Amino acid sequence: MATLGNLMSLPGAVAAFEFRASGELLGYEIRPDTPLNSEELELLSFMCAANMSLCSMQSRGWEKITGMGGFSPVREFTLIGFDWSVVVSCAQREAQRAAGQEALAPYQGVVLANTGAAYEASFAALERG
Amino acid sequence: MIKRLLALDGVVAVCRFRDDGSLMEGYGGHIDSGQMSALARVAHEYRRMLQGHTDQFSMFSDRRGWTPPRGWLVRGDTRSLCGVAGVVCIFDNDDSNFDRILTEMLEVAHW
Amino acid sequence: MSIVADLMSRPGVLAAGEYAFRGDRFSYRGALSEEHARMASIMCRATTMGVVMEGRMADNAKPGSRLARTRGWAVRCPEYTVCVVANVFCFASNAPGVVDGVLALMRKTLADTDMELV
Repeated sequence: MATLGNLMSLPGAVAAFEFRASGELLGYEIRPDTPLNSEELELLSFMCAANMSLCSMQSRGWEKITGMGGFSPVREFTLIGFDWSVVVSCAQREAQRAAGQEALAPYQGVVLANTGAAYEASFAALERG
Repeated sequence: MIKRLLALDGVVAVCRFRDDGSLMEGYGGHIDSGQMSALARVAHEYRRMLQGHTDQFSMFSDRRGWTPPRGWLVRGDTRSLCGVAGVVCIFDNDDSNFDRILTEMLEVAHW
Repeated sequence: MSIVADLMSRPGVLAAGEYAFRGDRFSYRGALSEEHARMASIMCRATTMGVVMEGRMADNAKPGSRLARTRGWAVRCPEYTVCVVANVFCFASNAPGVVDGVLALMRKTLADTDMELV
């Protein structure tokens, strides 16, 4: 699983955080001089946890109705804001679930400045075991 | 007529909002007009979100009976928020009977 | 050229379309049936509505934060990524470089869309 320090080294990263599937913020790092705080990260965690769940519902329903594969399970959800984006991942968690593990990793996320944001590098970093 | 909800035990505020989320009427002792407008806006947006989610649930499950949703309840630590159509109310959990509140909400919301 | 045509001209893009923020209208191009495109537009509209409204609610909870100004979202699946900015959706493959290019184009082209319309 990526460390918060690793995630902070991604291009454009201004914050990295971990949270439970329920949205509870577990840990975070924020780049100094970034106008973000833990309170906002916790709001983001709740929002992203909710959307991860909704997208899981959609991807399962979509596969069932269309017969198309390749959508479930969801790996990452990304929110594109005006100045920032946030990428959150449940890929590690899904891999652990598929392997039958009982204790599941938390979700991880990274906040990126839109200028210079590298989404695919973020997906890859969050999925790396 | 939504004012009569305030007569039920535990209900502290009630308001009705338009289809664009603007406040039509609101009642409640300790809530100012700005807070009442915010309540209307949140309830309106929550209703639209829930409608979107239940539409998808119906689409995927191919089961009738869920949509359009008639209402919603978010039960907090000591207070709850309940919305039916264009009406939303706030009530204290300990002093209220939700079954009665919901029955009344279902009735007044469609007037 | 329209944003949908621009997206469809990129390698790795399976389908792209536009939906009305309110109402059921949609249009699309690409490898989806009409019915599946209709479903995709319903799903994308609902999620866009959700993230925009959640942003507004977050702004109520924490006024002055910039969380409220949501422009779009993306969901990364095992083989495909669904990218949505404003009222445009795009189904893209996960091949290297595809999603970064799609999101950059969508963010640039749709930067001025009024999200208050959601």
